[in-house]
Amino acid sequence: MSEIGSQSDAVLVHRILAGQVEQFEVLVERYRTEFGRYATAMLGGDVDDAADALQDAFIRAYRSLASCRDPERFKAWLFRIVSNQCHNTRRARRGHVSLDRIEEPEDRAATKRVDNTEIGQAIEDALNELTAEQREAFVLKHVEGYSYAEMANLLEVGEDALKMRVHRARDELRRKLEGLR
Amino acid sequence: MTDEKRFSPEAQRYLDGEPTPGLDQSEREAADRFDQVVRDYAANLTAPGVEVDRAVMAAVVPPASSSSAASFWRWLVQPHLFSVRPAVVAAAAIALVAIGALTMDIPGFTAGEQTAGATTDQQQTILVRFELRAPDAAEVTLAGSFNDWSPEGIQLVRNTASGLWTATVPLHPGEHQYLFVIDGSQWIPDPSAHAQVDDGFGQANSVIVVGPRGVVRS
Repeated sequence: MSEIGSQSDAVLVHRILAGQVEQFEVLVERYRTEFGRYATAMLGGDVDDAADALQDAFIRAYRSLASCRDPERFKAWLFRIVSNQCHNTRRARRGHVSLDRIEEPEDRAATKRVDNTEIGQAIEDALNELTAEQREAFVLKHVEGYSYAEMANLLEVGEDALKMRVHRARDELRRKLEGLR
Repeated sequence: MTDEKRFSPEAQRYLDGEPTPGLDQSEREAADRFDQVVRDYAANLTAPGVEVDRAVMAAVVPPASSSSAASFWRWLVQPHLFSVRPAVVAAAAIALVAIGALTMDIPGFTAGEQTAGATTDQQQTILVRFELRAPDAAEVTLAGSFNDWSPEGIQLVRNTASGLWTATVPLHPGEHQYLFVIDGSQWIPDPSAHAQVDDGFGQANSVIVVGPRGVVRS
């Protein structure tokens, strides 16, 4: 785990609960990039949506920090909040298109997407067609570069089940990419 | 490979980083091509920047102030860890069921989430979330009858890049009037409020009605 600051997550959680609230910034900084890339991938490459989801997730985590029963596993606990927030954002986007999105000029929409190449778009389209579990597993494996053991620890799901999700996701993506040729 | 558009189990193991001595050359090449495409995609993904840190910390650590309202707000948003005896837990559970029965979501309330707050001494408060989309604003505050119309009283927090400003405020049951204050000078009503009333000076105030069971009308 790349560490920002020298204290463990558990020590920081205890300090925050004891009143040193500014220590929360160390945790935010520690996990913003790692979970931020995950959020960007889960939200179709939209960095703005990812930033909003991540921000809401961190604030929610802070406000419910006292319910983190095992501070040693703060990372997995936080990841679940980030993951839920991303799923909520996706659900909200499907059911609601806000006016500012409709009115957004084409050129700005293009610049918001971090990878607007045909292949990048195809991957995002294919990811969108996966189940939430498959998409999450694929992103953790191929975007975050986690091992299956790390994924199992984070998601509390068996390695065999995670392999199956990743394998199916690869097949779906491959079909999509083959269609471009 | 039997299916040209699916990876064989051997190729899947290869992509998983496991040893695959019997993998066919063409399958290996297909897996390598796939892996490279996905690596390129992943390399182009960007994580949100430090603006997230700033926005989060602004929301969870309000600026130091000696006012009692700021102290209460700091206490409200700070996570608390309580230790209680089992007998107290049982009594609290009964009380919470009673509170839960009094609190319900009101369909059609779009201003945000609402939850029951403290209920001691009959002074029930309902947490009401206010939202305003103002992407060009540098600062947005909330002023209303609940804080003596002080524009400095309640600061909204900007959601990064989307331009959505939010604040969650404990309100007592009753009717409240309010306005948003943009950059300390521009007072505007809430465009999502269902009711506006004349403020007596030729402008409109937004109205929110909070009942003991939640927001009745916003």
